[in-house]
Amino acid sequence: MSRYYMGIDVGSVSTNIILMDENKDIHYKKYMRTLGKPIDMLKEGIGEMERDLKKVEIAGVGVTGSGRYLADIIVGADIVKNEITAHAVAGLNFIPEVKTIIEIGGQDSKIIILRDRIVVDFAMNTVCAAGTGSFLDRQAIRLGIDIDEFGSLALQSNNSVRIAGRCAVFAESDMIHKQQLGHNQSDIARGLCEALVRNYLNNVGKGKEILAPIMFQGGVAANVGIKAAFEEALGQKVYIPKDYDVMGAIGVAILAKEEVKKKGRSNFKGTSIHNVDYKVSGFECDGCSNVCEVVEIREDGRLLARYGDKCGKWSNSIDKDNIKLA
Amino acid sequence: MKDKVGIPRGMFYYDYYILWENFFNNLGVEIVLSPETNKDILDKGVHACVDEACLPVKVFHGHVDYLKDRVDYIFIPKFISVYRREYCCPKHLGLPDMVRHSMKGLPELIKPKVDLKKSNRDMKRAIIHTGKYFNKSAGAAIKAFNKAQNRFQRYMESIRQGAMPIHGIKYDEYNPSQILLLGHSYNIYDRYINMGIVDKLRANDAGVITVEMLDTHTMRKHTSGLSKRIFWTHGQRIVGGAFALMDEGLIDGIIYISSFGCGMDSVLMELTERRAKKLGIPFTILTIDEQTGEAGINTRIEAFLDMLKWRSKDEDNLPTHGEYIHSR
Repeated sequence: MSRYYMGIDVGSVSTNIILMDENKDIHYKKYMRTLGKPIDMLKEGIGEMERDLKKVEIAGVGVTGSGRYLADIIVGADIVKNEITAHAVAGLNFIPEVKTIIEIGGQDSKIIILRDRIVVDFAMNTVCAAGTGSFLDRQAIRLGIDIDEFGSLALQSNNSVRIAGRCAVFAESDMIHKQQLGHNQSDIARGLCEALVRNYLNNVGKGKEILAPIMFQGGVAANVGIKAAFEEALGQKVYIPKDYDVMGAIGVAILAKEEVKKKGRSNFKGTSIHNVDYKVSGFECDGCSNVCEVVEIREDGRLLARYGDKCGKWSNSIDKDNIKLA
Repeated sequence: MKDKVGIPRGMFYYDYYILWENFFNNLGVEIVLSPETNKDILDKGVHACVDEACLPVKVFHGHVDYLKDRVDYIFIPKFISVYRREYCCPKHLGLPDMVRHSMKGLPELIKPKVDLKKSNRDMKRAIIHTGKYFNKSAGAAIKAFNKAQNRFQRYMESIRQGAMPIHGIKYDEYNPSQILLLGHSYNIYDRYINMGIVDKLRANDAGVITVEMLDTHTMRKHTSGLSKRIFWTHGQRIVGGAFALMDEGLIDGIIYISSFGCGMDSVLMELTERRAKKLGIPFTILTIDEQTGEAGINTRIEAFLDMLKWRSKDEDNLPTHGEYIHSR
């Protein structure tokens, strides 16, 4: 039986689980759509993993993504890490001398600037989702193209159409206008790829010194049209790692390995958690005018965690020793 | 029966409350202070205020709304200038008028004009004007103010010793890294709208410095090299304070908290970021608006602190973080 480290990335659009061995080789990889049900997806993913691999020994677990705290409550993680650090660690593992990491996911996009294997600067998109995966998803639906074919369609174009990429709403009306003028699908697809890249470089990449080697990861890296648009805009080769879509999970698995080495044991609750019944409920606290939305998670009926309150009235009310017995 | 004066906990409250509190106490006037910003106050403020105003102005409206049925007067000074040849943000200039025109059913507003652009003489006029509401003679009002001013100076002194404004609490703790929390006082010290960033940084073993802890002279010295004088007083403080701390190597990183759409910040952020880049000091901007989801802000803070630790150690030695939402 082999020992693996599990990396879990619970993002807004996808939930990814990977298993990595001691040599940092990836043995199992699962990419699922979160569909707004992170707990169910986690359970399902771990359940399927157990079915696929029969017996596995999990030596350590790391969680990342915007749902990382929730994932930690469910699985019992050894390390909880933000996406920036996780992506940087994974990128460094792929190209040790990487200087720029472009990461475009479902609802956020990031740029990470590294020098001498150290993160020296980073940025994330602000409130706007233009220039992320959801933007492309939406426009592909508008064009009636399957998102998987979007990139190759864009590559067929010899003549791109200029589309405003500043705002998803404006891009859409601009695109409809271009369709009415009779431009073909592939030119519009290429125009959209270029719009997304332009938007990314002007917003997230604003003022950043983008030096080679440049890596491109995150779900959107599957789109060859975007890769080509980046290479054209930057005048540099852009490297896409083999496991581009689960890099966050890989990064946090690497961190979990180090953490377990330091700590000598793992907090992991075991793969049987997919059989456990988790119930999430919420209520509005009426203790003060903040009216916090408190979330409660119950594991087989027993209160596991409470959070969402600003003052700690509910989150601190749980008997912590009790949790350790789980 | 004593008259009750309401003081909204917003905008210049974070700079001058101690002065106002002592002044009104010395006049024998009862103060009603609105509570710390909460969801209800934010919602009411957003509802009452014009749409294009910035978040702190909206929050201010919410505080006025809280007070309006509880007091006889609401104190909203019209701050034009607090320093020679400098101005306050236009939003301060128009604050009492904005409130007056956006909200109905208000008690009488006490809105003395504070304009020290040319000289300090206007201060006296503002003090006497305020005193008249409570039938105080010019002499009595000025005496009350001078006494309050002395108390305020002592408070300012404790801030310069490293205490946190408004409560004046000093945290004696050892921190491996010192973060300069930069931005307008009403964004930095309102822990509801900035989602408790000071506590979050402390929970992650980072020390917090703010520019209020520096003296005016030091700050102004450091902005004197700029090609054009900054004519906003808060701008002088933010840029000068950041320059001073950067130049003297006293900080490890800067987090700039800016409310969405702040015109002043667009200039101040650029000036400080350029200097930070030149000196290789990590700099990040957190934009705050009406959103209440904390995930985005937590991720940025954690990543920023990781980066600082990473820079000071090698990458195989990444520390684990504590969590905010639950404990193991």
